[in-house]
Amino acid sequence: MFILWLLASGFFIALMAPKRFLSLSFTLALSLLLLVFAIWGLWAGNSSFLTGPYLALTPLRAWFMLVLGVVATMSSWYRFGYHQHDETTTAFWLPIFLVSMVGVLTAQTVWIFMTAWEMMSITSFFLVVVHHNRPGVVKAGYIYLVMSQLSALAILSGLLLMAATVHSMNFSVWATTARDLPWNIKSWIFALLGLGFAIKSGIIPFHVWLPRAHPVAPAPVSSLMSGAMIKLGVFGVLQFLLFDLGPTSILWPIVLLTLGAVSSLLGVLYALMEHDLKRLLAYHSIENIGIIFLGLGVMALGVDWHQPNLMTLGLVASLFHTLNHAIFKSQLFLAAGAVEQHTGTLDAEHLGGLIRTMPGVAVGFLVGSMAISALPPFNGFLSEWLTFRGLLSLASRSTGLWALFGLGMALVLALTGALAGMCFVKASGVIFLGQPRKPLPHQAIPHSMTWPILSLAVLCLALGVAPAPMVHIIASLMPGMNAQAAVLLLPLKASLLALVLGTLAVVVAVLSRVWDAREVPRWNCGRTVDASMQFSSASFTKAVRTTLAVIYRPHRQLTRTGPQSQDFPEHLIYHGGTTPTWERYVYRPGYRLAWAISRYSTRIQAGSVRLYLTYLLATIGLILLFLH
Amino acid sequence: MLWGAQIVGVVLAIGLAPFFMGVAQTVKARRQGRHGPSVWQGYWVLAKTWRKETTVPEYSSWVFRLAPSMSLAALLLTVLLIPWSGTVPSAWPHDLLAVFFLLAFERFWVGLAGMDSAGTFGGLGASRIATLGTGIEPAMLAAFGVLWVLSRQTAIQPLAPALMRQSLGIIPWGLAVLSYAFVLLAETGRLPVDNPDTHLELTMMHEATVLEYNGRFLAQSQLAIAVKLTAILGLGWIWLGPQLATPWANLGLRLVELLVSSVALGWLESRSTKLRYFQLSTYLTMAAGIGILAFYLVSSGGLN
Repeated sequence: MFILWLLASGFFIALMAPKRFLSLSFTLALSLLLLVFAIWGLWAGNSSFLTGPYLALTPLRAWFMLVLGVVATMSSWYRFGYHQHDETTTAFWLPIFLVSMVGVLTAQTVWIFMTAWEMMSITSFFLVVVHHNRPGVVKAGYIYLVMSQLSALAILSGLLLMAATVHSMNFSVWATTARDLPWNIKSWIFALLGLGFAIKSGIIPFHVWLPRAHPVAPAPVSSLMSGAMIKLGVFGVLQFLLFDLGPTSILWPIVLLTLGAVSSLLGVLYALMEHDLKRLLAYHSIENIGIIFLGLGVMALGVDWHQPNLMTLGLVASLFHTLNHAIFKSQLFLAAGAVEQHTGTLDAEHLGGLIRTMPGVAVGFLVGSMAISALPPFNGFLSEWLTFRGLLSLASRSTGLWALFGLGMALVLALTGALAGMCFVKASGVIFLGQPRKPLPHQAIPHSMTWPILSLAVLCLALGVAPAPMVHIIASLMPGMNAQAAVLLLPLKASLLALVLGTLAVVVAVLSRVWDAREVPRWNCGRTVDASMQFSSASFTKAVRTTLAVIYRPHRQLTRTGPQSQDFPEHLIYHGGTTPTWERYVYRPGYRLAWAISRYSTRIQAGSVRLYLTYLLATIGLILLFLH
Repeated sequence: MLWGAQIVGVVLAIGLAPFFMGVAQTVKARRQGRHGPSVWQGYWVLAKTWRKETTVPEYSSWVFRLAPSMSLAALLLTVLLIPWSGTVPSAWPHDLLAVFFLLAFERFWVGLAGMDSAGTFGGLGASRIATLGTGIEPAMLAAFGVLWVLSRQTAIQPLAPALMRQSLGIIPWGLAVLSYAFVLLAETGRLPVDNPDTHLELTMMHEATVLEYNGRFLAQSQLAIAVKLTAILGLGWIWLGPQLATPWANLGLRLVELLVSSVALGWLESRSTKLRYFQLSTYLTMAAGIGILAFYLVSSGGLN
């Protein structure tokens, strides 16, 4: 009953869209309610207060509800200060988007699940195309819609296949009977559902929609999509494939691990080449989903091999990273929105020195950068540490090729972590530090935008300093697992580590009297320095672009202008970039094929009514002929 | 006794760090036919720079001022995490992965400081340090590959190295040492990866990021470099070197080992030239490859 009220309230708030303050307050209230609801669900545990044939809240779902609640609360709070074009549209679709995600998380039958899923896709499509008068937005939204529908199609087929073999549409029945399905059916279900959820999560090679759709949406929407929506794909994989299906063919954990490794590495590599802050963050979402999938793969192997240790490690690593990524990614997206509102641009090559004009947001962005680069003492460090442990225990507990595979995955994760660190030194350095690269008008940022970012930063720190309660909660999500939860974080002693690091930093900083220093001009071999002499986003990553030219396929073009342009150019115009490999070599042929097929089909389907009547007659004739 | 040995080890590792740097410099100078400075020169330089006036470049922010403290704190914590006498009390954190992440932390702040100095060289150094880091981190994980197989956990200390050498066999052990040595030179910024003595802008890496620092901040950065060298040398000896029976004897052995490796470092540096920047990816891939090979030999049970 309660949940029905929750769902109905979403539509109610949507109708209040024209009244700005009222609508914002109610959305915030709804988000807080979600948070309370999630905590209540986690508190109640397996003897959940909400169980029914249509809607139910299991501990796993409550965990994802918590993720949703945190992101939704902070984004709603942030919207009080955020100014955007056509705010009423966002105010209308956002509450419905929120409740449709709640619907996905609480659905107990196929129909409710798919209805909520489709509502989520469509409302998020409308939220993406809010700025439809800007160039490229409608195209991005369209690509997103097509990919969402493909994902929904795959998920629906998978769910129907499962329902047909189990003879029930109810998820609570699946939890007990799906384990006994024949292996080939399990493989089909895994393939279909895995494909659908991977598309929704933005796993490479199904990621093309993500770096397009997330950046064009308003910042609170980007933060909700990156922080919460793509996590529902993770939820689907966990709930239906790992919890319900149980052991499957050994192929599927390998697929999960490989997808995770490819996504994390390529995601961060593409992010490194981006100069638009929001696109950079969108690629980092792909990277982090990849890391979560690595954790899921470890868990899947644990399920297949009946190794509870590996299973717990994978589950805790992936779910903890899900929450952590939701926190720091929404924090970074909100900070990006603040940068856009402050300066009017997101192009890193035009920005710089924002730490002086927006200090609060800069602190938030720095903390978020450190968390996403997995640096202690923040939360990302712990979940990546757990993922590393999972992969390394895979490497050390098996022999031969399996061990090599495990080590390879760990090496990919290490490379990803290092590249992410580099990318965020670039992003924070170019945008927030140094001298402004162009004189841009600055608009003041209201406190209601800074505080949500800083609150999320505090959460990052809190989870990094005291991770034990969270780890304990996650380990108890699956029955019979909490026994080993306490030893998971040994021998790290994360809290002690964080405290010592903090104390050391403060002591050293005080001893060296950081405040006591005089400002002098910069040194540049004796010449006068200007802002254009600083390293830019493109030059910072030049070495990586050259080293990994096989992946990036970089191109550049230098144009000389002026009357004697060959020898004495007056201006040099530089165009450089990288080739979008997946789009050009995978998606474009598919797109061309679809066009070719539709062109051929116009020969028999030209829109003439007489032609269709002929088809009808011919069909009836044929049927009569055969039924005769 | 464990507590005492560990604390004394940490204090010695930090306190003697400039001395070991000095030893390497002196050996290098002698090999080049110079007399060179005293082995204690590092302490005089530190004391002198600490007393000088500290300035910061225009357009820099608190990040620039705080970065040396952050880097130094991370490296001091790294030294704390290393079991200097071979064994640590059970209440002491001693995780190897944490060491990796702390090194990444240090690199992150050095990079930020470079970007915040708002000049060309800072950005150049930050870019180079970060690019090098993307090679070092996986290579280091691979260099420790053997350890993952034998200890089955991420802690440094529970495996007595003597035992490990027995179960390793000479070939995987040699490969692990080689791989670790490659990574060590890259991580501590020594030749053939980075020249610690250079002041030529075009070839600088670490030096470029600290170019704008002086006074107390420069002293912190110099101490940080020395501490990092000691920590990474010591870590290598702890898991690949010999081990004695008691913690105190181990500690003494470690000092001797550090002295020996400083001399070796000076000797090596006087014999090698700096690699081209774009060849460093090959160098680090090779280090990782050797580590992976050692790992595979051990985990597949071959060549025992």
